[in-house]
Amino acid sequence: MRFHLPADDHVVMDWGPALYMIRVDGHLGAMVLYAFPGMTPQQKGAHTVLTGWLDQSALHGVLAEIEALGLVLLEVRQVESHGEITEIQ
Amino acid sequence: MTDLPAVAGSGRAPGGAAPVHRRGKAGPGLIRRHDLVAALDRAVQKRVTIISAPAGTGKTSLLRTWADQPGQDCRIAFMTVRPGQRDMQLFWLTMLGAVRAAAGSGDGAAQLPPVAPGSGGSAMVDKVLSELEESCDRFVLVIDDLHELSSPEAAGQLTALLTRLPPGVRAVVATRRDLPLRLHKLRLAGELAEIRAAQLRFTEHETRQFLAAAGIALPDHVAVMLHQRTEGWAAGLRLAVLSLAGQSDPERFVAEFSGSDRTVADYLMAEMLERQPPEVQRLLLRTSVLDRVNGELADLLTGATGSERILLDLEDANAFVVSLDPGRTWFRYHRMFGELLRLELRHTMPADVAGLHQLAAHWLASRGQAADAIGHLQAAGDWNEAARMLTDHALSLTLDGQAGTVAALLRAFPARTGEESADLTLVRAIADQYQLRLDQTDTHLREVRAYAATAAPARRRRLEMAVASVDLLSARLRGHFDSIVEQAGALLCLGDGQTSADAALSSDLKAIALLNLGVTEAWSLRLADSERHLVEGAALACRIGRPYLQVACLAHLGFASTGRSFAMARRRCEEAITVAARHGWDAEAVTAPALAALANALIWTGQFDVAEHWLIRARRATQAEGEPGIRLLVCLTSAILEVARGHGHRALEEFAAARQMQALMVGEHGLTVRVNAWTIATQARLGMTRQARAALAALDGRQASAGEIRNAAAVILLAEQDPAAARRELRVVLDGDVPVLSYLTQVEAHLLDAFACRDLGDERASQEAAEQALNLAEPDRLMLPFAMTGAWQLLETMPRHGTSHAALVTDILDAVCGPGRGGSAMMPVEQLSRSELRVLRYLPTNLTRREIAGELSVSLNTVDTHIRRIYAKLGATDRTAAVERGRELRLLSVGRT
Repeated sequence: MRFHLPADDHVVMDWGPALYMIRVDGHLGAMVLYAFPGMTPQQKGAHTVLTGWLDQSALHGVLAEIEALGLVLLEVRQVESHGEITEIQ
Repeated sequence: MTDLPAVAGSGRAPGGAAPVHRRGKAGPGLIRRHDLVAALDRAVQKRVTIISAPAGTGKTSLLRTWADQPGQDCRIAFMTVRPGQRDMQLFWLTMLGAVRAAAGSGDGAAQLPPVAPGSGGSAMVDKVLSELEESCDRFVLVIDDLHELSSPEAAGQLTALLTRLPPGVRAVVATRRDLPLRLHKLRLAGELAEIRAAQLRFTEHETRQFLAAAGIALPDHVAVMLHQRTEGWAAGLRLAVLSLAGQSDPERFVAEFSGSDRTVADYLMAEMLERQPPEVQRLLLRTSVLDRVNGELADLLTGATGSERILLDLEDANAFVVSLDPGRTWFRYHRMFGELLRLELRHTMPADVAGLHQLAAHWLASRGQAADAIGHLQAAGDWNEAARMLTDHALSLTLDGQAGTVAALLRAFPARTGEESADLTLVRAIADQYQLRLDQTDTHLREVRAYAATAAPARRRRLEMAVASVDLLSARLRGHFDSIVEQAGALLCLGDGQTSADAALSSDLKAIALLNLGVTEAWSLRLADSERHLVEGAALACRIGRPYLQVACLAHLGFASTGRSFAMARRRCEEAITVAARHGWDAEAVTAPALAALANALIWTGQFDVAEHWLIRARRATQAEGEPGIRLLVCLTSAILEVARGHGHRALEEFAAARQMQALMVGEHGLTVRVNAWTIATQARLGMTRQARAALAALDGRQASAGEIRNAAAVILLAEQDPAAARRELRVVLDGDVPVLSYLTQVEAHLLDAFACRDLGDERASQEAAEQALNLAEPDRLMLPFAMTGAWQLLETMPRHGTSHAALVTDILDAVCGPGRGGSAMMPVEQLSRSELRVLRYLPTNLTRREIAGELSVSLNTVDTHIRRIYAKLGATDRTAAVERGRELRLLSVGRT
């Protein structure tokens, strides 16, 4: 069960992981996918979309890996912003 | 087996790699992309060129082809930043090495300065720039893989370098991503050129050329297909060519490749690997865990032999394997290529990965490459061993200038409790101390002490020594010298029978311990012990090849010798400075104690101008940083120079600065007393007797009983016109009833006594006292007390035959009053008569000659005659000149005539 924080319109620094979808050009083979163990790949047309829960450090790690492999980065999108939150009494 | 190319560092740990550039050999399979090279040629006409493009676009190849062009009329310094380079100093040392190698100044590698830990980056920037300026040739600095530089200070220092290039020097920088360099000024001035990914793409024509050069025959439309599929990406094309070589049906290959959506790298890499013979595949995959590889290491990881041959062949066959040294014994893989290999390794042989890292770790560790070894242990998940190794090597690595690396390795440990976390506490202490977070350091050290008690004996001794060393350094940084020294004895005994790696570690630790101990002892005035330890430390440091420690020991030895004799202090300071200069450190903070102590010694022996020269250097060396103790010494030395030159108010400012430094230090030490005493004395002499009395009263009983303070009290009394009381104060000092720092205080006391006697009208006693002072001063040829107390005035009126120190007197007067005053060489030929002197003393006022006549109750005629004769005797042409000359000859003060 996931609880959302009461609606905040102002920006709050969110340290927890969020759900990201990252789109790169081309289909990633098994070898290259090894570089993104926490992500789920999906082929969409000529692109690949990697989906996974990442905090900010992990996100930058993924982006660095994409750079290191010479992949072409097309899109980075945050789909859901809050991780599991246990109820606070 | 040759060692890793040790281009930078103390000869142990190689820093970044500056691959020696082999001119004329552009490498296999590289075509000369003429248009692109020409574009780079044009770009390099501007000061700075930035090549910013992603991995595999051919930046390095372009740089190499460009540099290889025949007819380059400038020197090219080529360096590549090591992956994950966190230590700016190592980066700069590598660049220095590349510059020197290019300038052809002898054996570049051997001449590199060793690392000075903590050395400010901006000093290194200056050094590089000045070496570039000195060489009159046109230079091009080429820096490849600049994005790998991951230190927080990188951006600032790089910007400084690039914006301050001397004329005739150009820079070309290759990077994978845009860097936060603030080069807008260069851009505005039209001095910045950029080459980006779009320009690096292979054109169709170039693709065809490339295929032709590789001996691959493809019909035109197929070549076009290949070009379109790879989108002109250099790495893709290269991989394609490797896969196509020897294909029976190249057209079909390209067709299939084009029909696939897989990323180019993925597809072609797999293809390329498949085509390699099994032993080559095995080597490529298994050595992919390494940053750099040589034949021996490759043999170890593959469990085979003949790896060196394979590596050489690989380099000849493709541009993904590059050798790092002229002997072609060390190699590295193109980053992206290596990255892909690593992934394939994890994909196909996951169980072997940890083992490979461990093999690499142990091999590297046995060759002193501690930082790399620890990284591999971490990658193998061997946290405990990694923690132990990091703990053992942290101090040495910091000494090697790899503090940034230590911090990064520390961060890489997962947050866990347990054994390795206790181990790492020492590393945390060292890292915190490097960042000057001294309270945290203390906390960590307490934990380490508790833990060390449970360790095996040899390890425990090393840990204890490391703890004591770190503790002593904290004391230095805080300026708190009182309580530490007891631990000394335990420190310095080390067992024998260790492995050579262990012995090296222990020697490092011992040298550091001796240094910190010696310095602490010097400040707490245990001078004999201090000297012993610093001498031993310097010798040990020299033996183990730690020049930085050697210079530090020698510099502080010079400082500590001040108590013994100025001649010895001078000698030792000069030795320290000479050794420091050999490594280019003569303006660094590490040499500051010697610079300041030398200035000090020179001032005491009356060489004010030379001293000032050294003092300026000392000040510059301690500007940004430095222990409070040394900065205090610099302030104090500046102060006494000002007093000696008669600039009382400026002296007071310097004394105040010294007291500020004192406030930063916990507890007292040798110099505190002097600062207080001379402040009070200077205030009194400037007529600020109230403040002087207040300062005197502010001292507690113990402080006030020191001989130096009693002297200062006497100065106040003299200024208050109470010479009898002054004599009483001085009596206790002269009789030796109060503690004094050294005989210098007694010289001062005798001189003050001489003044007191003179004020009481007892000329003979005054001269006797002065003679006593001269007796004490003669051996070391001391002159400062005569200047500071103003006693040179007494010497002037002393009949020369009445002293056995005539030469010293002459020298003192020369030093204090300017040349010629001491001897009779430049006295006016005729003395001025008494009446003439009276008139002379009115000249500086704005009274007219008629008014002067009125004052003196003589006729105007008389005054005129006197003035004419004054001008003649002084060689002056007008009133101003006469006043000036009179001032020079000190005829204007109202003395007893």
